[in-house]
Amino acid sequence: MRLLLRIFPLVLIVVGATLLFERPAYAYADPGTGLLAIQAVGSALVAGGWYLRRKIYSLFHRDSAAKVETERLAIPEDSEG
Amino acid sequence: MEMTFRDPAGQLLLTRDDALRRVRAAAAEEARAFLDSALRRDLERSGDLVASEFVDVGVESANDPASDAGDFWLRHPRIDPISYPWEWTPAQWCTAAELTLRVACKAIDAGWTLKDATPLNVLFDGPRPIFVDVLSFERRDPHSSVWLAYGQFVRTFLLPLVAAKYLSWPLEATLFARDGYEPAALYRALPRWRRLSPALLDVVTLAALFEGKGAKPQKAKPATTHPDLAAHILRKRLARLGKQIRSTVGQENKSQWSRYVQTASHYQPADIEDKQQFVRDKLAECRPARVLDIGANTGTYSLMAAAAGAEVVALDSDAAALERLWRSAGGEKQPVTAMVANIARPTPAAGWRNREQLSLLDRLTGGFDMVLMLAVIHHLILREQLPLAHIGELCASLTRRWLILEWVPPSDPMYQEWLRGRDHLYGHLSERDLGEAFAPHFGVTGRKELGNGRVLLLFERNDSGAGTA
Repeated sequence: MRLLLRIFPLVLIVVGATLLFERPAYAYADPGTGLLAIQAVGSALVAGGWYLRRKIYSLFHRDSAAKVETERLAIPEDSEG
Repeated sequence: MEMTFRDPAGQLLLTRDDALRRVRAAAAEEARAFLDSALRRDLERSGDLVASEFVDVGVESANDPASDAGDFWLRHPRIDPISYPWEWTPAQWCTAAELTLRVACKAIDAGWTLKDATPLNVLFDGPRPIFVDVLSFERRDPHSSVWLAYGQFVRTFLLPLVAAKYLSWPLEATLFARDGYEPAALYRALPRWRRLSPALLDVVTLAALFEGKGAKPQKAKPATTHPDLAAHILRKRLARLGKQIRSTVGQENKSQWSRYVQTASHYQPADIEDKQQFVRDKLAECRPARVLDIGANTGTYSLMAAAAGAEVVALDSDAAALERLWRSAGGEKQPVTAMVANIARPTPAAGWRNREQLSLLDRLTGGFDMVLMLAVIHHLILREQLPLAHIGELCASLTRRWLILEWVPPSDPMYQEWLRGRDHLYGHLSERDLGEAFAPHFGVTGRKELGNGRVLLLFERNDSGAGTA
């Protein structure tokens, strides 16, 4: 539970940021409205999973937390959306 | 066919031997960058993208008031005949979708993206799909995790397949849906429990609900997603679309006609052997470069013609049978183009002013050295109620020289099955009537009667000017 309480605000921030700061929908092909929104939600879920995994990893590998932080841009192969 | 006009980046003009593409000045820099890129070379090398070469066009094109000094032209090899998505089997749709996703994935890895993703950007060169729109590529904002063509891919690839599988909306109906189906249309039509299935929850149910809430177009804001994360999200999105497509198309379909060869009780093994030997011999004698197989079924004779060195176009109105043909042609790497079409009710021209997509006959007329019409004529006479003279005229418009036709007499069990009490109209037709009706265009140069009473005839056009085969 403690773990959940610690990471929940972070997930909220990531999801909110992803939804707020996406690119505009200017395209030759009609991007749709509902389907564009689906992309934003999907992006948020994938991004949430990505950050969540790093956070969980750092909780159980405190010694290597600093190292993880420097490698924060590396994408886990098996992360899920 | 006129030049295409929807894409502001350029236009395509089909000529007899190739496809010419004008790239407009506004898109020239982006297009040149793509054409010079390693991505383009990689896609061409793998056979996923049509080849392109820079060309100078004649003065007549330069005089076009719509032209600009900054325009340039490309030439692509002509893929002939064009088959449109409404003439594909479900498995061909799946393969075309997978090609589009594969191209999109490679583009993302190389810093590019597809700006549109519709089945109309894919053609079948024999059994193999090929991506033909080189102007679909644009440089990707590395901070953006949005794929702007996602909506178009879902509407034009995924939702027609969903509608075909769960609602029995025929794929042929996409002729009337240039931009595919809206999620809301499928949401209304699908049963409630189906709306919640994992494969449809996002692209149908949630998308329809978001649309219903009146989502507004997003305003310009800086894209701030980290480049690695953005690429990761895009790859995940493409992977999910691939899973959704494959789970929708599912297993190979079956129909009455897809099992015709195995279940045909009106053929004894000796008859089949005689029939195949006759066709094989005539293919070897005539050596046609291009063959049209009407009523190709699962492709026994299409593949035979291809093995004899011909490029083959195989037509059948039964998608399940044709799908088996297409898989066989792909497996044997034979140049057979499979098209779901009924020669008696050929696919019409489509699009703006009926000039964007050609009718089936516009694409086929005069394009073949030989036409195969095996076990088809009784369908045309009894089910389509077509006079023999009209059938002869159609055949003469399709072939430049030869026609192999299987005459099915009224005594044949299949003929009797469809005669249905109309003996006074069709019960008297004979091989002699056929010969007389075809005589204005063809003469008979080969004949073989099978043990079951059917007759194989090799016709040659009267105006071919050569001796018999």
